[in-house]
Amino acid sequence: MSALEEKAKESSDNNGGFAILFFIIGLAASLIFGWVVFPKLLYSQKKQPFDFSHALHNGLVDNGCQSCHFFREDGSYAGVPKLAQCVDCHEDVQGETEDEAVFVNEYVKPGREVPWLVYSRQPDCVFFSHAAHVKSGGMDCKTCHGPIGESESLKPYEENRITGYSRDIWGKNIAGFKSHTWDRMKMDDCSECHVKNGVRQNSVQTEKGACFVCHK
Amino acid sequence: MSAKEQKKAKRFGMVIDLDKCTGCGACMVACMAENNVPFKKDESNKLDSITWMRVFKLTNGKEYPDADVCYLPRPCQHCEGHDGHSPCVSVCPATATDYSRETGIVSQIYTRCFGCRYCMAACPYHARYFNWWDPVWPKGMEKMLSPDVSVRMRGIVEKCSFCFHRYQRAMDKAHLEGRRELAENEYQTACTQACPAGAITFGDLNNPGHAVYKLKQSPNAFRLLERLGTNTKVYYVSEREWVRRAGDNYLAHEKTGQVAAAH
Amino acid sequence: MKIDRRSFLSLGVGAGAGIALSPLPWKLTDDLSIWTQMWPWTPVPKDGEIRYVNSVSTLCRCGCGIKVRKVDDRAVKIEGQEGYPGSDGSACALCMSGIQRLYSPTAIRMPLKNTGTKDAPLWQSVTWDAAIREISEKLGKLRKEGKPQALACISGSDKGTVPALFRRFLQAYGSPNFMSMPSYEDAYEMTLKLMHGTDSAVGFDLENADYVISFGSGILEGWGSSVRMFKAKSAWKDKKVKTVQVDTRLSNSAAKADLWLAVKPGSESLLALGMAAVIISEKLYDKKFADQYTFAFDSWKDAEGKEHRGFKEFILENYSLSYVARATGIEESQIVKIAKEFAGASAPIALCGRGQGNTPGSVHEFMAVHALNALAGNINQKGGVWAMPKDDYIQWDEAATDGIAEKGLETPRIDGAGTEKYPLSKSLPHRLAAIINAAEKSPVEVLLVSGANPLYSLPDSRAVKKAFGRIPFIVSFASHMDETSEMADMILPCPSHLERYEDVPTPAGMIRKVTGLARPVVRPQYNRKNAGDSLILIAKALGGSIAGSFPWAAYEECLEKTFGDKWKTLKETGYITEDFSPPYWDAAFATPSKKFAFMSEVCAGAEKKGGTGAAKPEGEENTFPLLLIPFDSMRLACGPVAPTPFMMKTVSDHMLKGKYTVVEIHPETAQKYGLKEGKNAVLSTPKGEAEVKVHLSRRTAPGIVAMPRGLGHSGPDEYISGKGSNFNELIAAVEDPVSGLDAAWGIRAKLVKA
Repeated sequence: MSALEEKAKESSDNNGGFAILFFIIGLAASLIFGWVVFPKLLYSQKKQPFDFSHALHNGLVDNGCQSCHFFREDGSYAGVPKLAQCVDCHEDVQGETEDEAVFVNEYVKPGREVPWLVYSRQPDCVFFSHAAHVKSGGMDCKTCHGPIGESESLKPYEENRITGYSRDIWGKNIAGFKSHTWDRMKMDDCSECHVKNGVRQNSVQTEKGACFVCHK
Repeated sequence: MSAKEQKKAKRFGMVIDLDKCTGCGACMVACMAENNVPFKKDESNKLDSITWMRVFKLTNGKEYPDADVCYLPRPCQHCEGHDGHSPCVSVCPATATDYSRETGIVSQIYTRCFGCRYCMAACPYHARYFNWWDPVWPKGMEKMLSPDVSVRMRGIVEKCSFCFHRYQRAMDKAHLEGRRELAENEYQTACTQACPAGAITFGDLNNPGHAVYKLKQSPNAFRLLERLGTNTKVYYVSEREWVRRAGDNYLAHEKTGQVAAAH
Repeated sequence: MKIDRRSFLSLGVGAGAGIALSPLPWKLTDDLSIWTQMWPWTPVPKDGEIRYVNSVSTLCRCGCGIKVRKVDDRAVKIEGQEGYPGSDGSACALCMSGIQRLYSPTAIRMPLKNTGTKDAPLWQSVTWDAAIREISEKLGKLRKEGKPQALACISGSDKGTVPALFRRFLQAYGSPNFMSMPSYEDAYEMTLKLMHGTDSAVGFDLENADYVISFGSGILEGWGSSVRMFKAKSAWKDKKVKTVQVDTRLSNSAAKADLWLAVKPGSESLLALGMAAVIISEKLYDKKFADQYTFAFDSWKDAEGKEHRGFKEFILENYSLSYVARATGIEESQIVKIAKEFAGASAPIALCGRGQGNTPGSVHEFMAVHALNALAGNINQKGGVWAMPKDDYIQWDEAATDGIAEKGLETPRIDGAGTEKYPLSKSLPHRLAAIINAAEKSPVEVLLVSGANPLYSLPDSRAVKKAFGRIPFIVSFASHMDETSEMADMILPCPSHLERYEDVPTPAGMIRKVTGLARPVVRPQYNRKNAGDSLILIAKALGGSIAGSFPWAAYEECLEKTFGDKWKTLKETGYITEDFSPPYWDAAFATPSKKFAFMSEVCAGAEKKGGTGAAKPEGEENTFPLLLIPFDSMRLACGPVAPTPFMMKTVSDHMLKGKYTVVEIHPETAQKYGLKEGKNAVLSTPKGEAEVKVHLSRRTAPGIVAMPRGLGHSGPDEYISGKGSNFNELIAAVEDPVSGLDAAWGIRAKLVKA
């Protein structure tokens, strides 16, 4: 055994424990970073222009979600209501909340559309037919959007700093695990349901759903 | 695909009457406006000029005054090949282009494409275009962009989609009305609608009730480079023999309209 | 304890393992891939509610009925409007790409005053008040000096309320110098005046015709109402109606016709007369019509007993088959065959006016072609040519004139129209440039330009530019910058065609009256005023009888009052139509004889026996061995409006390559002058020269250079400007001896390797 090798052996003997220690420190630190710090860094918190209670409004309308989120005659989905719809009731400040005052004074009176941050906003390449899912598929809103109709206030909008989309698309769980159907809104989630139900599995490439079903 | 679905499968396609086409370019403009096709300062280099629908000029090569020209509008031919294995779909390494057995439409998903241009090499019809530059709309003109079609970016390939978004929109309406089927006039491409000469007919080639079903059976109907086995869904009609001959490569003794069956 | 390199390695490995066990790499990869799929600068069009608004597009000459798709308040696409008379469900490429004009950054947003020179304009924005004040002061001064006739106006058209307001303004102001840009419609009007004796517009019952022969008319190049022509052409094919195209070059119309007669350049009318000779000698003409309802068909004696030769004898004597065959290059048998087919058809129709018809052409030629229709007895008949009453919905009281105005109105017109020399014509703007350039001081001191781009569209545009440079004050009423606005001293911006109300008069060649209404499709984007509104403001500022002649508060009120009880329908449906059935031959003609006048001498070209009737192209054959002829294309806008970026994309590289216009020459010509495909050459004519590229084509005969019209704009943006050369810079007007209208169809040219 040469001197050099002996030295090496000695050092490994002495420092074996340290190596493991450092390994564990590194592991722990990066695990904390990856699981706890990273999500905080990745998403910025944005506030909606003012708060809104779905629960309150749901109690006042006759037709559930579709009272405000309706289909247009051409089959397209109107999505977030326009100011004109709200103005029917909100011409003047009702109630006493500060949010109501903000709404009326900053948006209704000057006739400015509310720049809502839409949690479910998908990339431009996505085509989603509400009519196909709700009317023909008989799905309810909750399956994808969750119990948002029961919420009393709007949660902060967490915007992905890289992609610009809401955290709700990937899901709250940074690992991507979901416990409800509405926890995630990625392509895989659409595909999962389509495969399960055998919806339009006509692709030559994938033998699954063709691209021109959900894309444009 | 279940047997029932198979039966309902559509093969959307076109029949273009070349004797009616006047080469006016209305189809090209309608297509550009419908599909957010970008434009740049110099479009005279046709190799990098993106035109999903392009009207080619054919000449019979004869001497004045026996010379003749014919215009040939060329959208994506939406090749079916053998069971959907169209030239481009077969080679795409990114699953960015796909063939749907439900509609027979060859799709192109821009966000999926990484710009290898393999499909462009494979396409015998030059129907695919590469975005060498990011599209730029002069200030204010981005207001004319349609939300129905994704805007493309530098480094990807794009092509005619048979205005698939119009199918999606029409289906939306059908779903709302509790239908699953579309009437012939509910889904028409922008070029078909725009052609002032009525040269383009669009519909389901499988549906005997659609106009294209009959038109494609004309003895004067032909497809481009039919003998490659691309099995395209765009048919052309012309009473002129020289035009039909221009649709493929023929030996001197060969006649048109005698296409060998696919291998 | 010793921290060495290994510890760091361990730390690193641990960190690596930790990261790998955390969602970070997978999530980051996913996010990054999404980011690269859609760069932040790639525009994402906003979604919204889709609605359609009907209107009429005024970009092309005929006015296409359009349906504009809007997403919320944005206009995104223009399509044809179903049911609109003529264009029914389709629109031409220019009108379809009109949104690019609406949202173009070259739109003029506020009144602009040129504080620089005409060659190097320096635009300064001014308020509307200041602009109107300055113009009315200038105009007031001119009147004070007693020369109201020094005000002139060039309007794109002479139909509709806006041109009528300009004419009225000049009338009240005291100037006879209202000019409109000429087209083949003017030549037809004159033809009808001479042969029918009526003041009418030409109508063609194309849909019911069963044989069509076109003498150079670009049925598929934008002649008439382009979309209606396309539809008619397809219907003819379905009904197996034979179409014959007489053209020197294999135009698209010729290629699509059942038969192309490749005549020698300029011999179109000769062929018509040759056909007439065959029809007469074979006695195939409509005898009832010829015998009872025509004048001067046979020889006749006037009141003084002087013998006049009739059309019949004149034609038979001067247009022998062999002569016509030699002169036109069409075989005798072919001429006989076509003549027989034409006369034998039950509703044959012969059309005239070259290309898109932007140059009026020779009245002789029109009369020769119209004589064919008369021989076939297909005048005012189903499937024939009709004399249509002109639109008469503008019924305003006569403009009030004061002493100054009356004096000014008595002066002869600057362009000579209506004077002794040109008694038949109403306006001759192509003569203006030469007159101004020859004068010591420009006789026009203030020029108003509306709906026209004379600096681009008039022949010999270099001379026009020089002339405009000598006009002290030019006011341009325009929505976008163009060649003419660039030379203006003041620009009064108009809303774009999708932001304003305007009436659209009956398009050319229709057989019923159609009045369309262009309406605001989107909210006006800028502080602009309709030309009518600007004019009303100027009139009010001038006061007196001029203000009195403009009793309306605004243009919209003028429109509303003009249409009276029809306004409501017009506004609701977007157009009103009025069917017309033409009077029978006994009541159709208002010539002195109350019959159809063949007018043989005028018809055949008075200058010599066997004349062609066509204008002689300018230039010496020795210096300019070739003949340059223009051709029109639907892919290029050849009118006052520049093509859109989308249209430029459709232009073939056989018409434009880089910054060069591509001209077509026969391979034989190329060989003779040492020119090669795709190579540059210098094209020169007596009027100017241009560097072009050469395309060898057998569509043109040897000795001909064919050049596309509609290129070579100097503005308004990088998508249009500096591309190719303007044909009008190379051609000179050739005056028609009968009308004074421009009858040029070509010019002698030289092509030399660059």
